[in-house]
Amino acid sequence: MNCPHRKNPMIVLELANVETDYCPNCEGIWLDSGELELLIEDSSVKDELLNFFISDKQIKEKAIRCPICRTKMEKVYVGKEEKVIIDECKHGHGLWFDKGEILEVIEMGSLNKENEIVKLLMEMYSHKISPNKKEEG
Amino acid sequence: MWELIQSNKRKSLILFLAMGIILLLLGYFIGGMFLGTNGGGELGVFFALLIWAVVSLVSYFAGSSIMLSVSRAKEVTKEVHPQLFNIVEEMKIASALPKIPKIFIINEEAPNAFATGRSPENCAVTVTAGLLSRLNRDELQGVIAHEMSHIKNRDILYMTFAGVMLGTIVIVSEVFLRGLWFGGGSLNRYKNRSSGGGSGQAVIAIAALVLAILAPILARLLYFAISRKREYLADASGVRLTRYPEGLASALEKLADNRLDLRAANKATAGMYIVNPLKKKGMKLSDLTSTHPPISERVRILRNMSQGAGYMDYQNAYMKVKHKTERLIPNSVLDSNEKVTIRDTSVSKETIDKKNYRRNLGDLVMNVNGYSFVHCVCGLTLKIPPTYKKSEIKCPRCGRINKVPPRNKL
Amino acid sequence: MSAFLIFIVLIVLVGFFFAGMYNSLIKLRNRVKNAWSQIDVQLKRRHDLIPNLIETVKGYMTHERDTLENITKARAGAMGASSVAEKAKAESALSGALGKFNLVVENYPDLKANQNFLALQEELTSTENKISFARQSYNDQVLFYNNKIEMFPSNIMANMFNFKQEEFFEVENEAEREAPKVKFN
Repeated sequence: MNCPHRKNPMIVLELANVETDYCPNCEGIWLDSGELELLIEDSSVKDELLNFFISDKQIKEKAIRCPICRTKMEKVYVGKEEKVIIDECKHGHGLWFDKGEILEVIEMGSLNKENEIVKLLMEMYSHKISPNKKEEG
Repeated sequence: MWELIQSNKRKSLILFLAMGIILLLLGYFIGGMFLGTNGGGELGVFFALLIWAVVSLVSYFAGSSIMLSVSRAKEVTKEVHPQLFNIVEEMKIASALPKIPKIFIINEEAPNAFATGRSPENCAVTVTAGLLSRLNRDELQGVIAHEMSHIKNRDILYMTFAGVMLGTIVIVSEVFLRGLWFGGGSLNRYKNRSSGGGSGQAVIAIAALVLAILAPILARLLYFAISRKREYLADASGVRLTRYPEGLASALEKLADNRLDLRAANKATAGMYIVNPLKKKGMKLSDLTSTHPPISERVRILRNMSQGAGYMDYQNAYMKVKHKTERLIPNSVLDSNEKVTIRDTSVSKETIDKKNYRRNLGDLVMNVNGYSFVHCVCGLTLKIPPTYKKSEIKCPRCGRINKVPPRNKL
Repeated sequence: MSAFLIFIVLIVLVGFFFAGMYNSLIKLRNRVKNAWSQIDVQLKRRHDLIPNLIETVKGYMTHERDTLENITKARAGAMGASSVAEKAKAESALSGALGKFNLVVENYPDLKANQNFLALQEELTSTENKISFARQSYNDQVLFYNNKIEMFPSNIMANMFNFKQEEFFEVENEAEREAPKVKFN
């Protein structure tokens, strides 16, 4: 799979039997819904994450294409004053987080930190989380 | 078995010829319209046949390799999945095929399978990683038996040629209709230009128009009719091989449960798979325009085979479920007074650790694809594709710089 | 003159017809033979797997010496059998011994976690399956061949050239024939 930005090859990261795709070049992260579906038995956990974001057609950010189906992804956001904008595939293939976005989303605090996926993501990309923030979570 | 193949050939040949006639008529009338009644029709027929022959030849010699590369399938060795290899070999023995087919795996979650190849000597069976992780041994055997029956019954060759014929008809009609549309009123021009009787030419022009509209629809219906019938037949012969209808039935049920699309499939290749790999959300495909019979019906037929696993038993179950007296399987086979008892298998318990199993399988497929694996001391595993060119990589979990080992050359 | 020519042509055509029929009978008979040899191949494969299996499980199954010895004995018996009837009997005995073994295995969770054993078990399951599928295929071929011999017009040919009916591979006792159930959990 290639990074939606520059088409660099993405590498696969595995922790505790869950895989995510990661671009070492731009540090973006691809969350694949098929992968989540298989590995997280409770599908409500996955839906909670996917439905967490709000679609907004007005957002003017350069559209990127889904690394799987190559159609343009939709811009979705989270947060009230300071929005974090991420990309979601219209066909439900997954979510794309640019560099650092995943931690911003998590640090906003509105995501359920008991959610298995969220926990795992924090663990997997923990290098960028400052130690005090980590303790809060 | 051979009688089934023979009579199968005859039936498919009839439908196949019907499609051929549609193509020829189309060529004849379009040719007649553009080139005049003197020899124009014949020329049109010639061109239609030429297109069909060229595309057929290409798909005969390159069809399966195109299919396999489009679906991103990787050929695997026995070490990758011994059980799959064993099952294929078991079915090879049961079906008395001359050779063990090649085995390919697609590294995707959506469970599915297909067979390719122009002859029993030159064929391949492909399954997805998702199929392997979801099915138990008996179910996998049912699916493989279905696919090997396609090979044995020579379905692939027929479906390829019929598919190509369908494609040719669609393209010829499309080009013709578009040409008319953009030519703007050119119908008149052709009518007047002709040297022969004007009214005869007009009739031909109208016939061409009607045909161009109807031919693709008709051809599609014929194609789908052949395809569905062959799916039922492959179910019947598959079960006769395994002697265990429940294996295929419960496999089909699991496949129907799946909500994931197969990314490697598209409209052109969808008909090759054991179940339709593309699911349209919120839309029920009508019976007439589907390449596959509804899964629920296939399952019900299989579950109704309480008497045995022979063709007769399948035929009876088919009639019972469909409430039709249609002969699915020719009499010559049914009469052979055979008793095919259902095998008594252990219902395999599914206690394997699915996540682990799936992960190992995925790793093996990645390995085949030339990935290298870096295990960072912090516990994170980095799986690096062969397209990654740098020799070092930073671990996103702990920030350590890891060396990328030289990857396996493919 | 022309009547004579027609006669000659007819004779030639009939000749071709019978030659074709003869060839197809030969082909079918060869298929039967081939299917029979498939059974042998798989039986031999089973014999080859057993020493390996015993070696792997010996350390775990210290209390099952009888079961293991029975398998070894049955294997030796099967390998020594000469006539077809003897062979069939010895092979069923071996299947029975392996079946018992598979029941016992359930009591050894350590063994079932051993990768090496699991791989062997899959090979054994598959070989048992292959044996029964080879039999099945053999019987299919025999049925087809026998039908051809009985039916007109090929029966004339079969009588002339002494094509004999082949025997089905039946196992007297259904329970014995049953391949041991190997679970792969």
